[in-house]
Amino acid sequence: MKKLALLTLTALVLLGSVVSAESITVKGSDTMVILAQRWAEIYMAKHPGTVIQVTGGGSGTGISALVNGTTDICNSSRPMKKGEKDKLKIRFNSLGVEIKSAKDGLSIYVNESNPVKELTLDQIKKIYTGNFTNWKQVGGPDAKIILYSRENNSGTYVYMKDNVLGGEDFSPSAQNMPGTAAVVNAIAKDKYGVGYGGAAYAKGIRMVGVKKDASSPAYEPTAENVKSGNYPISRYLFMYTKSRPTGAMKEYIDWILSSEGQEIVVKVGYFPVK
Amino acid sequence: MKYLATIAAIFLLAVSMRAQEADTLATKSEVQAVKDAVDGVNETVLGMLPTLQALAKIKFTGYIQSQFQVADSDGVKGFAGGDFAAGLHQRFHLRRARLKMNYDNDLTQFVLQIDVAQTGLAIKDAYISIKEPWLRTFTLTSGVFDRPFGFEISYSSSNREAPERTRMYQTLFPGERDLGVKIEAAPESGPLSFLNFKGGFFNGTRENTVENDNNKDFIGRLGLSLPFDEANLSVDGGVSMYSGNVRSNSRAYWTMANSKFTVDSSLTNYGKYAERTYIGADLQLTYDLPVIGGMALRGEYITGKQPGTAASNSFYNNGWVTSPAAGTPLYMRNFAGFYINYIQNIGMKNQFVLKYDEFDPNTDIEGSSIGLDNTTSANDVKYTTLGVGWIYHWDANVKFTVYYDMVTNEKVYSGTKTAALYPFTNDLKDNVLTVRMQYKF
Repeated sequence: MKKLALLTLTALVLLGSVVSAESITVKGSDTMVILAQRWAEIYMAKHPGTVIQVTGGGSGTGISALVNGTTDICNSSRPMKKGEKDKLKIRFNSLGVEIKSAKDGLSIYVNESNPVKELTLDQIKKIYTGNFTNWKQVGGPDAKIILYSRENNSGTYVYMKDNVLGGEDFSPSAQNMPGTAAVVNAIAKDKYGVGYGGAAYAKGIRMVGVKKDASSPAYEPTAENVKSGNYPISRYLFMYTKSRPTGAMKEYIDWILSSEGQEIVVKVGYFPVK
Repeated sequence: MKYLATIAAIFLLAVSMRAQEADTLATKSEVQAVKDAVDGVNETVLGMLPTLQALAKIKFTGYIQSQFQVADSDGVKGFAGGDFAAGLHQRFHLRRARLKMNYDNDLTQFVLQIDVAQTGLAIKDAYISIKEPWLRTFTLTSGVFDRPFGFEISYSSSNREAPERTRMYQTLFPGERDLGVKIEAAPESGPLSFLNFKGGFFNGTRENTVENDNNKDFIGRLGLSLPFDEANLSVDGGVSMYSGNVRSNSRAYWTMANSKFTVDSSLTNYGKYAERTYIGADLQLTYDLPVIGGMALRGEYITGKQPGTAASNSFYNNGWVTSPAAGTPLYMRNFAGFYINYIQNIGMKNQFVLKYDEFDPNTDIEGSSIGLDNTTSANDVKYTTLGVGWIYHWDANVKFTVYYDMVTNEKVYSGTKTAALYPFTNDLKDNVLTVRMQYKF
């Protein structure tokens, strides 16, 4: 009986010790996907022995993949929640490792022809919760506000909900787009559209200045304003690993945090962490 | 001739321009048709959006555990997934087949979980949960759900590394659940966010049985959770209490004195409430070992008073009878038990498991005194179990477990005259090997 147990255990250990091929998978935030791809391309060109696969899908998707063991690195535009860390703890007996890889100013996009130049946080909240439905309520033309939002697996969606809407639900009229690029494309064609997303995506649209309150000055999500903390909705862009990175993964993350990796952050349109 | 050619060219140009104009008009018309179609689709999607959003709130999860087991001898009675039938020592066994539906409306939840394993259909969870919207700290739950005591109850069977809960938990909390109401406080932020509390009142009759007295049992746990992110270390723990009563339906009320049970047969014992008290403490440490992987060390200790019968030291749930003569005599036992569980992740897919547990259902008697007279029985025998196992995670859904339980019982008085105790004069042959496959989604 004990021999049988020992035999079965040994078989399972052998099955489990099959070494997987060394490559790094990166999954998660759509906000970070362009940045992550640039990092990977440049790193792989300099380190031909390393293969890095980058996919988006949203921060929530990336975190689920990390918990399920289907990605090595998860990109997230929001911090992991306690419940998500608990899942990681249950499966891997680890709290996960959080790496702040870049900074971003959560930008409010409008069409280039939209005369509205600035909004307070309260106005943005009222727009996205459906209390303000016409641009004239925020000093714009007499036209219906068309809301573009993200799906709920997006870290940007969660960040916006938690930090701008104060936890309140988005208006049911908001159209959920599959990625920041889709939000930007929609607003570029929609005179009365409004959207939100990472600063690096703001091409062909305009970002409004954001005011903490009615009496504060408006700030745009520039490097200076994000670094000084004047821009009221700036955030970190995170990378998460299950446990302390080692080997090729550690080398890659160290490179991302180096001046070379952080220069790419700036080139893509985000802001360095240091 | 030139004149004719010029006229023809002008004519052809006019015809061509006319045709182009017609083409442009046709294209414009087609674009408009496409735009109308897209608008129609948009309108349909917008109409469906509330329905889709409502459906997105419904989440189904589930798991199946199918296993093969081999015991040391025929008809082993044990805590490794239930007793083996008489005359056999190996079996295929569908241990659990669970389906859980959760309607998650952010602050309110509807949860229904069923089990359709070999024992038949059973309701495991059926509860409503409401979180207050202001602080998002307090949650009220009502229905059938896990009793808020210790760690092992609330640690899902699909996540648990050892195939079964310890003998201690299976004895004190069979079925894990009860019917009642509880309040949970778990601050999401602020200086008290490391603390959590869950506690409430329950029938004290297990999950699917109806109440049989007017007494309600209090069960609660005060916990703490200290994550040290920089060190990738977490310390979790808590203290728990079960304070309840069992109504005696008999005059016979047995208590321990001088290593044997003595009976009090006063008529006032009929309807008397016997104390059921459990006090417990639990601690869980997790730490990420560089290169190897995360490890967890968990331990729990519970002691208290357990009303039972001559035939069982388990959680007793008697019905009321109108005549004390028809009742079942109540046996009061002081008990104590603990377990220590070590789990080591090895890389991404493997886990090593080591678990030791001890449960003494009657701390007022030593093994050598059991069987000295006919009041004590196998229900007073202390057990220890050493379990060792390996888990291989095939993918995110499937895992294989091989686990070997080495069970040791206290040896009773060698000259016992109680036939049922003879086997306990030696260690029973009741080790069990479990090979399990689990699919979870």
